[in-house]
Amino acid sequence: MRLLDRYEEIVGHQEVERLRRLAQRLAGKRIVHVNSTRSGGGVAEILGWMIPLMEELGISARWEVITGPPEFYRVTKAFHNGLQGLPVSLRKSDFDLHYQVNRENAQRLNLASDIVIVHDPQPIYLPLFTPPGQVRRWIWRCHIDASRPDRSVWKYLEAAISRYDAAVFSMPAFARPLACPMFLIFPSIDPLSDKNCAIPETERLDVLARLGIDPIRPLLLQVSRFDRFKDPLGVIEAYRLLHPYYPEMQLALAGGPADDDPEGAEVLREVLDRAGDDANLKVLLLPPDSHRTINALQRSATVVLQKSLKEGFGLTVTEALWKGKPVIGGACGGITLQVHDYHTGFLVHSAAGAAYRIRYLMRYADKRQRMGHTGHAFIREHFLLTRNLRDYLTMLLRLDHPDATVI
Amino acid sequence: MDVTEPFCVMDCSLVRCATGRSCSNLRELLEAIRAAPETVVEHHMMRCALEDHFELHEFPNDLARWCWTVLGDNVLGEQLALVDPYRQSSTTALRAAIVNVLEDRLWGLDHVPWCRPGLELHLIESYLIAYDTGERIFTPAALVEAIGHMSPRSLFFHVHDARRRTTGRTDDFSQWLEQSGAEESLVARLRGIDFYFLSLSQLRDSLTEAFRQYVAEAPPVARIAP
Repeated sequence: MRLLDRYEEIVGHQEVERLRRLAQRLAGKRIVHVNSTRSGGGVAEILGWMIPLMEELGISARWEVITGPPEFYRVTKAFHNGLQGLPVSLRKSDFDLHYQVNRENAQRLNLASDIVIVHDPQPIYLPLFTPPGQVRRWIWRCHIDASRPDRSVWKYLEAAISRYDAAVFSMPAFARPLACPMFLIFPSIDPLSDKNCAIPETERLDVLARLGIDPIRPLLLQVSRFDRFKDPLGVIEAYRLLHPYYPEMQLALAGGPADDDPEGAEVLREVLDRAGDDANLKVLLLPPDSHRTINALQRSATVVLQKSLKEGFGLTVTEALWKGKPVIGGACGGITLQVHDYHTGFLVHSAAGAAYRIRYLMRYADKRQRMGHTGHAFIREHFLLTRNLRDYLTMLLRLDHPDATVI
Repeated sequence: MDVTEPFCVMDCSLVRCATGRSCSNLRELLEAIRAAPETVVEHHMMRCALEDHFELHEFPNDLARWCWTVLGDNVLGEQLALVDPYRQSSTTALRAAIVNVLEDRLWGLDHVPWCRPGLELHLIESYLIAYDTGERIFTPAALVEAIGHMSPRSLFFHVHDARRRTTGRTDDFSQWLEQSGAEESLVARLRGIDFYFLSLSQLRDSLTEAFRQYVAEAPPVARIAP
């Protein structure tokens, strides 16, 4: 069975057939995706499914990863924070290091193609150092909320963006005015991946037993990197506010460091310190390939939280809704697109707000179930990879045929 | 019924682009509508129906929704909801109609309604790229069947977009049926659907219902042949 055929069972024959139709117009095109890690984080997950699907649609797609010394990842993590609006202090030598690593990677990587799609700021200077004629079009895919960036970081990155033919943002609110076209493409999840596929009940229970979680008692869950913007301490506060009402409640904070996130260990220490010796509070530092474990945790949760203070799109919200769970999410970024009060969960603005909404959902099991059902249907319609792929194909067609309305 | 040309099922995809411009109060919205490219006005009044949003919306266009839910100006929300872009002769006329509503509202207000940070209206321009699905429909009965399974994007193309594409400013389905010699009452029933008021899934239901009612009410000889 071909890969696309497997998606037909979820999104229907028609959706997959339309993808094939669109892709026929792009057959033989050579596309290279570049990012900074093969594992950990949403971008690596997206590329993990997008490359083989593009290949199956007749597009020649490859994935290249830039590499650099550990200091490079500290700098790019600062860029990441700076783009999201956190004040950062970077020295000239930091910018020079980023510049130099991009120069070295441009020489090392095989980028010859029709289109190179550069993901996030780590490889952003590749166009500057790639010999002319090797790449026909450059597209910068920004997965981060760049609406209010640190000025020094933006000035440095903006100079690189001027060499791109187009940029892609996840939401209009994340974009900053640029000279090139700024396409908007929501990200998505892969319903057949280890993280999102159906799993046997025995496997789910095994995972809970291994992690010391009681399958009978209610479970709150937040899955995210140990990152300040994900507000894990706020989640613990909400859980503690609930304790007088639901002393049997369990909380699991599950995450794992990505290769390009050196700050994670520091935040993890703070979280462990705050968690103390509470046997009902599990802080789970999981290896990057723990997809089925996360799948089992999400399917076991009574309520899923994503109490972010800043968020890109929030794919962990998409995953939870796909599994039929109501989500309590911070009212920011892409969470606001997915969580709709009383329909798929609740948007909150504080730890107290999160605690209050959890109480509501704990009180009304029928509403939890209905929200879960609505959320699942909503994600199937709008946020699975087939829609994402269709948006990419349409964007590429638009770049090739800027004046065409029918192709 | 003399069906000569089969119905060609099209699909379409929406290309959305950020403009980098946003509005945080009613005066900024008025200035934006005056100056924005036509593709922006068209997106927020028409093509927004193809956005990947949750189908909660009470109003058929982004401007009415934003004024109602974010600015809290219910009067303006209601007035903008009633601006039907498909009854305007051109995008220029549509823009003038919106500007007129906004100006009139601002004229009578003591203060300019504004939104909280984070709830700005981000202006988007969009383009529709349509393509032939390869599917052909040969009989009206097959058309009814096909509408039940068509993608929401196909429905948008054949109903909403057709109003701007076709000389008769009508939908593709009724036009094809008319050319195929279908009963006038069926054609009229399809053209009578208030499509701009409906979500795309409601539109599908309304189209199917129009066929069902026609079959139920028409005398046996006039019924759609398979």
